Amino acid sequence: MIAQLLSELLKQRTTRTTWALLIWMLALITLIVLLHSFGLSVSSLRVAANQPKVYGWGTSIGALFAALLGALAITSEIRTGTIRPTLLAVPNRTLVIEAKMIAAAIGGVGIGLVAEALVCVIAGAAFAVRGIHVAITPGHFAQMFAGGAAAAALCAAIGTGVGALIRSQVGAVTALCVWLLLVESVLAGELPSVGRFAPGASAGALAGMLPSAGSSLQLATPAAGALLLVAYAAVALGAGALAIEKRDLG
Amino acid sequence: MVTHDAWPASEREASREPSAEPAVEARGLSKRYGGITAVDGLTFAIERGTITGFLGPNGAGKTTTMRLLLGLARPTAGESLIFGRPYRQLDRPATRVGAVLESDDFDPGRSGRNHLRALALATSISESRVDQVIELVELQPAARRPVRGYSLGMRQRLGLAAALLGDPDLLVLDEPANGLDAAGVHWLRGFLRDFAAQDKTVLVSSHLLAELAHTVDSVLIVARGRLLAHRRLDQLDGGAEALERYYLELTNVRPA
Repeated sequence: MIAQLLSELLKQRTTRTTWALLIWMLALITLIVLLHSFGLSVSSLRVAANQPKVYGWGTSIGALFAALLGALAITSEIRTGTIRPTLLAVPNRTLVIEAKMIAAAIGGVGIGLVAEALVCVIAGAAFAVRGIHVAITPGHFAQMFAGGAAAAALCAAIGTGVGALIRSQVGAVTALCVWLLLVESVLAGELPSVGRFAPGASAGALAGMLPSAGSSLQLATPAAGALLLVAYAAVALGAGALAIEKRDLG
Repeated sequence: MVTHDAWPASEREASREPSAEPAVEARGLSKRYGGITAVDGLTFAIERGTITGFLGPNGAGKTTTMRLLLGLARPTAGESLIFGRPYRQLDRPATRVGAVLESDDFDPGRSGRNHLRALALATSISESRVDQVIELVELQPAARRPVRGYSLGMRQRLGLAAALLGDPDLLVLDEPANGLDAAGVHWLRGFLRDFAAQDKTVLVSSHLLAELAHTVDSVLIVARGRLLAHRRLDQLDGGAEALERYYLELTNVRPA
């Protein structure tokens, strides 16, 4: 397992996809955090409970890009054909998927931390320009970084499973984006009793930050969020490994 | 006259000795995709230390057979063994078998060397071996550049380098001469002969006879998923020179 994990980590570092994802994420976070920092009124942002509407974006976007990192780890191998030499060297497909999942989770920690850090820098600067006091406590910041990193790691694992299940790169990327960006916000608005158990909401709960915090959406506790994400990751691993095991590849 | 027998009986007996099970064996191997039968009951055994040409028209089922042999696809019926075991049950298969199925199984943004390093890490092969195989296939100048800039010949050689990482006893190559220029085909022939001279085994497919006629010891000829013949060239009247006529007769194409 260690050997395969080292191999997957090397692949992750040596593909442009990883770095392209990181750059897109930084661009998207910059845009969204600036829009919210300057779009919301000063009086509203002075209310401490409203500040996660800005600071919470690091967790959501970090989770999304970590999931994409995981999905691309398997779907890009299938698209380029690299999966053939991979499986010839290591025919145990479940082992390969597990190693990919752990490698994606490790990469996900990095993505989560970078996402939270960028949000802090941009929101902090924007709040300073507008003369708004940042009301988030050091304890909350700590939870935001630790929880955001953990949530991104687990979402990366979920993404790997989804990628193994769907196998098509465009399909997997579309499914993850539609779910995390569209379906979850509809659920949060229309069916919060269900939506609060969804992966994106669980990630927000784990980090203690959601853009929709303070709305009618009742968040699960951080521990419940973590448990839910672990459960989703386990299901994704099982389904993905089963799908890859059964299929003809190459 | 068309004959469908595989090995002479004496050799079949010899291959049953447990210490020398065939390098490759197929028993009633079949693969259907929907209503299409790509491989239809192939049974053959490949002796160690030989170069076997796997010949047949395009679409004969050569690639599918190789995928079945290497555990990438599941047979609908029958089984295949590599050194006596199904491929997926081999211990560290990279040290027994090297295979190249497509000429372009690389991430275009990754360097050839990093592609090899990733495979070496997965199979606990040393980094010095990576540089060795790069040298072996004469890819040093390009090894640290992204694969997207490689010519087809360079990609073929990178695939071969990956297959050689584990110093395998058997090479399985699907159309390795595709897209190579005359010098490349010449290099490949020499390479395969040197490899087999170390008492190692090669199974190499081609739809072009001329590439292989003077390199292989025996031929497996397939068409429409069925085995038409398995012949040693030294048992063929006229040897390699007669192979083309023999092949065309078998596959029902009249020589021009």
